[in-house]
Amino acid sequence: MIRNLFKIFRLATRDYLHEWQMSVCFVLGLAAVLGPMMVLFGLKFGIVGAMMDQLIEDPGNREIRPVGSGRYEHSWLESVRKRPEVAFLVPRTRSIAATIELASEHVPRIVPVELIASDHGDPLLAPGSPVPEGLDRVVLSRSSANKLAVKAGDRLDGSLVRRYLGQQERVHLPLTVAAVAPEQAFSRDGAFVSVRLLEALEDFRDGRTVPELGWDGVSANTGRSYPGFRLYARSIHDVAGLRDAFAAIDVDVHTQAAGIELVQRMDRNLTAIYWAIAVIGLVGFSLSLGASLWANVDRKRKQLSVLRLVGFRTSDIVWFPMVQSLFTAVLGWALAVTIYYATAWVINGMMADQVDAGQQVCRLLQIHYAIALGLTSGAAVIAAGLAGMRSARIEPSEGLREL
Amino acid sequence: MNTESAAGAESRHSTIYLLHDVVKNREAKGVAFRLRVPSLRIDQGEKIALIGESGSGKSTLLDMLAFILQPSAAGAFRFRPDDGKPAIDVDACWQNDDLNRLGDMRKRHIGYVMQTGGLLPYLSVRDNISLCRRVLGLRRDGTVEHLAEMLGIVNQLKKRPDALSTGERQRVAIGRALAHRPAIVIADEPTASLDPYAAENVMSLFLGLAEEFNSTVILASHAWRHVKELGLRRLSHRTTHTRDSKLTETVVSG
Repeated sequence: MIRNLFKIFRLATRDYLHEWQMSVCFVLGLAAVLGPMMVLFGLKFGIVGAMMDQLIEDPGNREIRPVGSGRYEHSWLESVRKRPEVAFLVPRTRSIAATIELASEHVPRIVPVELIASDHGDPLLAPGSPVPEGLDRVVLSRSSANKLAVKAGDRLDGSLVRRYLGQQERVHLPLTVAAVAPEQAFSRDGAFVSVRLLEALEDFRDGRTVPELGWDGVSANTGRSYPGFRLYARSIHDVAGLRDAFAAIDVDVHTQAAGIELVQRMDRNLTAIYWAIAVIGLVGFSLSLGASLWANVDRKRKQLSVLRLVGFRTSDIVWFPMVQSLFTAVLGWALAVTIYYATAWVINGMMADQVDAGQQVCRLLQIHYAIALGLTSGAAVIAAGLAGMRSARIEPSEGLREL
Repeated sequence: MNTESAAGAESRHSTIYLLHDVVKNREAKGVAFRLRVPSLRIDQGEKIALIGESGSGKSTLLDMLAFILQPSAAGAFRFRPDDGKPAIDVDACWQNDDLNRLGDMRKRHIGYVMQTGGLLPYLSVRDNISLCRRVLGLRRDGTVEHLAEMLGIVNQLKKRPDALSTGERQRVAIGRALAHRPAIVIADEPTASLDPYAAENVMSLFLGLAEEFNSTVILASHAWRHVKELGLRRLSHRTTHTRDSKLTETVVSG
């Protein structure tokens, strides 16, 4: 049995090589359909993938900012933070009070910076890097770190001024650079600090006492409310829902929901267009492959009959077109992959300066190549099997008398 | 595997084919055709000639004898290639759709020479001649070379069939039919496509080799003249047409 299959395999191979012009035509015909389809899918996968990556990676798209200033209670903010679609939430203090002047040992000048409320899990800060904590550890924006010529671990002197009891009063506060934030986190001079520190600075400016830092003033603030908050949704898909939830309780928020929807709609449209083309392509591809293999078996009916005449069993004969179809499928696929590689290389080269480093406009994963090979071989085997069975069903004497 | 050599002169009278009331009906373009074989017996070592015009059903009978065409009806269709073993009921094989058994018998016991072609274009002459031997898994024993020498195609062994003349191709086809030393060689007008001189030459080569290999020969030809002197037994063959010429019936017996 195996020996017969091996003989059929050898005969089919020799025939395939002998008719190399025909074989080349079949392989070219297959690659001509499969290659462009792979390029098309590579583009769709690369472009939409990159857009989605960008959307997901840029935390700015997940940000929800209240418009104007309100009065948000701590307990309410806590309840919002507990919602599953909220990834990060910290309260903000009044922005007019959220500044400090920084000085370092390395440069003579004093740099005034904006303060941004932050905490563990701040999406703007690099994951895994130290976060602002307590009343002394801050994360500087890249630009303020450059102006102060400091790096993580360096010491800073923070100072701020208030008018209190008719007098100008300046206090100093020792700070440590916990880390420097990524470039894109905050483009101006700024520092990420704990909410507790912001509250302390606001209290100081309001003339209240801050016992932890030894600052005098009227009694401590009770029943504090916040004018705003920094909120990031868990994913871009939760932004629209949160926006609507806020609108329902008359909290006006600013989001990137419109932009996100645009890209999502584009993704849906592109996917729909792609599938329309892919389905048409796949149908055409299957038909062309099936037709050529079918025609090939028909053409070889006499030869297949001769093989039956010399004693090959019908079940062996079916393997003859099968082997040849698999040759065509694998070679056509390999050529299509080559076409794809060449095209993707050119496209990615042309677009290289328009996308981020490491991103590709046209790309496929290993699994996609495997799927293409599987589909092609499957279609080839089915077509050849059907044609082979048809030729096996006719009586050998009929096939022999054909010219 | 020794059955071929056992089919010698001492068992000359054992019967290979025994047919009774075998019928094959065919229809083409509104004209029906019927081949009827009331009785046919072919013994081992015999050389049978089936003479008639083309279209008279010679090929139909040969194809049935080679198990590549199913009879429409058969009173009896027995095949006994191995002397001493029970005869095989060919019709039962067809009825049971046991094509593999028929294929195996054909592979082992029958060589077939077609009117034209039948060579595989992608194999060399040598591989074409050895094809049946390969299928049977026979070892090289010089038979192929011997046949090539006898048939005058030694120099063509490495060529592909498309590089040969028609006459050379027929010699290759004869070589292939004999290479596995089958008990029976069936030839369907093996020389019809050759000029008369070459035809006579190839025919006598063929019959000589079949004699040498102790093969039973069943030969179809449209010309009796040049097979008569080769000592073949001619099967009785009669073709009649109905008055409206809608049915052609050929009756063969012998």
